[in-house]
Amino acid sequence: MKITALRLFNVKRFAGRGVAIETIGDGVNVLCAANEFGKSTSFEALHALFFQPHSGTPKAVQALRPYSGGNPLVEADIQTESGHFRIRKQFYGQKSVRVTDLANDRIVAQADEAERFIADLVRGGTAGPAGLLWVRQGVTGIERRSASEEESEKQVRASLLESVQGEVEAVTGGRRMADVMAATEQALGQLVTATGRPKAGERYAAAIAERDQLEEEERRLSAEVTALRHALDQRAAAEKRLQELDRAEDHLKRQKEIEAAEAAFQSARSRADHLRTSEAELNLLRERRDRAAREDAEFRAALVKRADIRSKLDAAESQRREAITRRDGVEMAVAKARQESDIAEQEEQEARALLARLDAALVARQAVEQLAEYENRLALAETLRTEIEAGEAALGLMKVPDATISALEALEPEIAGLRAVAEAARPSVTMAYAPDAPVVTLDGEPLAEGQARSFGRLAQLEISGVGIVTLRSHAPAGDDDRLRKAEEKRRGLLAALGVPNLAAARQRQEAARREESDLRERKTRLSLLAPDGLPALRKMVAGQREAIGQALEVQGDPALVRAAHATAEAKRHAARQASREAEAMQAGASQAVLAAETAFARLDAELKQVEAVLGPEAMRAEREQQRAVALADLDAQLTVKRATVEALRAEAGDVTAAEATLRRLRSVAQAVGNDVSELRKDIAAFSAEIRARSDDAVEEKWRQTIEALSAARVRVTGFEREVAVLLRLRKALDEARSRARDTYLRPVITELRPLLGLLFDDVAITFDEKTLLAQTLLRNGQEEEVERLSGGMREQLSVLTRLAFARLLARNGRPAPVILDDALVYSDDDRIEKMFDALHRQARDQQILVFSCRQRAFQQLGGNVLRMTDWIPTP
Amino acid sequence: MPFRFIHSADLHLGKRFGQFSGDLPAKLREARHATIAKLAEYARKEGASTILLAGDTFDTETPAPDVRRQALAEMHHHAPLRWVILPGNHDSLQAAQLWASLRSEAPDNVTLAVEAAPLDLAPGVTLLPAPCTTRRPGRDTTAWMDAAATAEGTIRIGLAHGAVQRFSEEGTGLDVIAPDRARRSGLAYLALGDWHGGVEIDPRTRYSGTPEPDQFKHGRPGEALLVSIENTMALPEVTPFQTGAFIWRDLALDLLDGDDAIARLQALIPELRLRRHALVRLSARGHVRLEARAALAAAIEKVQPDFGYLAFEDDDLTTECEPEDLDAIDHGGALREAADALLAEAGDDRLSSEERSIAQAALNRLFSYAQAVKA
Repeated sequence: MKITALRLFNVKRFAGRGVAIETIGDGVNVLCAANEFGKSTSFEALHALFFQPHSGTPKAVQALRPYSGGNPLVEADIQTESGHFRIRKQFYGQKSVRVTDLANDRIVAQADEAERFIADLVRGGTAGPAGLLWVRQGVTGIERRSASEEESEKQVRASLLESVQGEVEAVTGGRRMADVMAATEQALGQLVTATGRPKAGERYAAAIAERDQLEEEERRLSAEVTALRHALDQRAAAEKRLQELDRAEDHLKRQKEIEAAEAAFQSARSRADHLRTSEAELNLLRERRDRAAREDAEFRAALVKRADIRSKLDAAESQRREAITRRDGVEMAVAKARQESDIAEQEEQEARALLARLDAALVARQAVEQLAEYENRLALAETLRTEIEAGEAALGLMKVPDATISALEALEPEIAGLRAVAEAARPSVTMAYAPDAPVVTLDGEPLAEGQARSFGRLAQLEISGVGIVTLRSHAPAGDDDRLRKAEEKRRGLLAALGVPNLAAARQRQEAARREESDLRERKTRLSLLAPDGLPALRKMVAGQREAIGQALEVQGDPALVRAAHATAEAKRHAARQASREAEAMQAGASQAVLAAETAFARLDAELKQVEAVLGPEAMRAEREQQRAVALADLDAQLTVKRATVEALRAEAGDVTAAEATLRRLRSVAQAVGNDVSELRKDIAAFSAEIRARSDDAVEEKWRQTIEALSAARVRVTGFEREVAVLLRLRKALDEARSRARDTYLRPVITELRPLLGLLFDDVAITFDEKTLLAQTLLRNGQEEEVERLSGGMREQLSVLTRLAFARLLARNGRPAPVILDDALVYSDDDRIEKMFDALHRQARDQQILVFSCRQRAFQQLGGNVLRMTDWIPTP
Repeated sequence: MPFRFIHSADLHLGKRFGQFSGDLPAKLREARHATIAKLAEYARKEGASTILLAGDTFDTETPAPDVRRQALAEMHHHAPLRWVILPGNHDSLQAAQLWASLRSEAPDNVTLAVEAAPLDLAPGVTLLPAPCTTRRPGRDTTAWMDAAATAEGTIRIGLAHGAVQRFSEEGTGLDVIAPDRARRSGLAYLALGDWHGGVEIDPRTRYSGTPEPDQFKHGRPGEALLVSIENTMALPEVTPFQTGAFIWRDLALDLLDGDDAIARLQALIPELRLRRHALVRLSARGHVRLEARAALAAAIEKVQPDFGYLAFEDDDLTTECEPEDLDAIDHGGALREAADALLAEAGDDRLSSEERSIAQAALNRLFSYAQAVKA
């Protein structure tokens, strides 16, 4: 919406006259005039046109009326998206309102419809910033407030509220909203916790607690009342029963019944006793009679038995005799068999003894032979031993040590060598014999033909028949020493051996070996003869000799003797067998005799017994007679007694039944007695309980509790409802406030921020997003208290905020004019210029109406300058 | 000379009134006890020799000993006036302990009508009592009166407790006393108890009502009957008289838009002096403006201390809201927005009546808070 013209007639100081402000254009429009020129009147008239119903006469309308009275008339031309309209409103007399479409001069709406048209223009809903865009000198909101409020607001211009809070309040409800909210919260806080639970210690929780406690109490008391009523009913029932039970006539009746039953029982019992006695007598009699009958039968049986035994006895007698005869025969046979057996035995023994002797003799002979052999061996052995001993002695002498032989053998060549050397040096002689010439000897030894013989210093040649030639050598004997020594040694060795020369030594050695071999052979033979040594052999011989002792010399042929013995043995067996058989027969025969004797004796004893039963033969008939008589008598008695018992039995009543009846009656009486005492006990217990509860007036308490409980429930329900109501209210408030914030406040801050930058290059202001209140103020980097905003800055903020709102509206497709009535009284020129810049900048898409008395300062504002002209309203 | 007696019933001595708080229960209880003296005084004044109490003299089967003994002491005090106490359903014979105690404690001038047998009240006057044997006898206790023989010319007076057709305090319908028992049994008068409001069934059959009301149900003041019987044939002459100390009232405040609710209220409630002994349940109905509603609530709060008991119930009172009512909350902005939302919800037929009622109450509350904030 834009306003293109404003006209008023008979408003305030323009009593009876009219003025018009035409040609209000887009952007900034300025009506600059001195005070009391009619600016504020125009402003108020314009405001009334838009916000006061034509029918009412509230203060704001009253204020329009001139002192002289009359009917104020206000008219405005407006441009909207849907066209160009004229709104005309007259208050007081002929009050009217109408909207005309200027395009065709047609009336669009009148009266209430016209009011709605206007409301739609300015309000855009109750939540919209109606009147927001109207900034009046020192007053932030135009909405009607109490005079005192208005007054105080003028006074507290310095307060922070003017700048922004007016707008915030208008939208969010502001302080009143906060107060209502606080009241709601406080009321709610007295009932429930933040989470909606009943708050401990407060009335709601107390009411719930009381209700719960009463419910509990009611349950308890109800149970008690039930118990009491139960006890009362039980006691009444018990008393009734007691009365029934304890009736005297019943008591008497029962007593009589018991007595009758007792009498019946007694008589039945005595009859039963009598019967029992008679029955006993009957039994006795029956027994006697049975005994007599039995004795009679026994007697008769004894007679029969006796005859029987007698015949059997005879048979037994003959059997016995036979048995004895047989036994005697058998015994003779046995004796004979035994005799034969003995003889056979004897013969066998003899045969065996002979055989034994024969065997012994044989053995002895063998032993003697053995001994001879042993002795022979011994003799040989002894001889051998002697020879061995002699051999060993000889061997000892002959034995030549091998070393000596070796030494001699070594010496022999040496000597021969040495001797050859010596020989060679020695003179020798050789003899050549003339035929038949005598043998010449040299030093006693014949000189062999042609044989050269050496000699020492002296040699004697004996020539038979001739004489002795002595030969002497004067050659030096020099080197003969070694030879001599060797010969000395050999001589020594040979001397030790006792042999003349080596050959002899060797001969001896050979002889010793032979001897040794012989000795070994003998030893072997000896060990064969006496493997365990001679002493053992000797012992054997001695033993054998002893064993032989005086060996018998028995004659006979062993084979024959053996055969004889076998025969005897056979005979003995046979005889013994026969004897055994006979003996077996003998045992059987003896047994038979014994059996026969026993049978006989038994029968005899039986007979004697039967005889005893029967008694002396002479008395038998008499006794039989007596018995028969006695039996008959007993039979008669028995019959009589039996009849008696039958009679008694018939008349004896049933004792058990009588007793049962008595017992039953007594138990009935007993039970009644017990019941009575039980009932009395019960009644006493119930009475105690009832008295206790009655004195406690439990039912009164119960009813009281029920009533109190219902009251408490109502109270709790009331609180519940109260809580629900408060919660609903809080929700409504919360929702409305947050909706307002979301719709206006945040966008407004967004719009406001660039405007602020435009105006306050040295100051940064931050706003609380919730309250849209200035929160902090930063000047030259220093944080200052918000309260220190200057008055000029406050009004500038106020204007800027409105501009921001207007811009927001325009952006939302609902452009509205911003109307400022001396809104910048506190601002210095520098600021005002900056403000003008802001206005112009804003005015590019915004209609701004500025009313001011500061002509000089506002010359700088520029814009469309408005003039007031006289105006006569057309009808 | 006619036989004159007082017919009363349902004293409910000892009733505790747990639904109330403070000293009101004690006062109510004391008032019940005081009726004994009131009945005696009236009897003496009117020359009646006998007071028939037709059941429920005691509120429970086990009244506290003080209730019982003090009642008997008071009755004794008024000798030679004769008191006849009939067991009712609240104090039936099943309460054996009570009746045993009464038997042993009752003074000479107190007769306990505990047996269904003729009882001579005066020469030529016989009482036929029909005591309640149990809480719910399940039969017509007066049936025996038909066959009860009395001497020729004797005035027969029946005394019973229980329902006659629909007149029952307990609302059961089983043990109904034949409404024409008086005619059937040749009774000159049948004195009934149980129904707390006095009612005439026929000229010879009446409920006396309770001498001291104990509930809002009947809306009648406490009263008793003075009965005068000339002879067997004549109709009894019955005179009701007031006895109640407290009045119990259910009051309905019907309001229309534009009514002055406060004036209507003042006209409706008892005069100032009587309020002390008045127990009132006030329920407002109809339509009222937001402001008037707040004013009415304030007015009721103001007069509340005048009363023995005053309960105000306004669930059926609808608040009418005009734009200016909402303007009183705020012209615009979030408060107004909240008020509009609540008003819309209160009138939204799609919501349950409970939700609407809560929204309405929340609006009322908002209104009163807004007023308080403004002030």
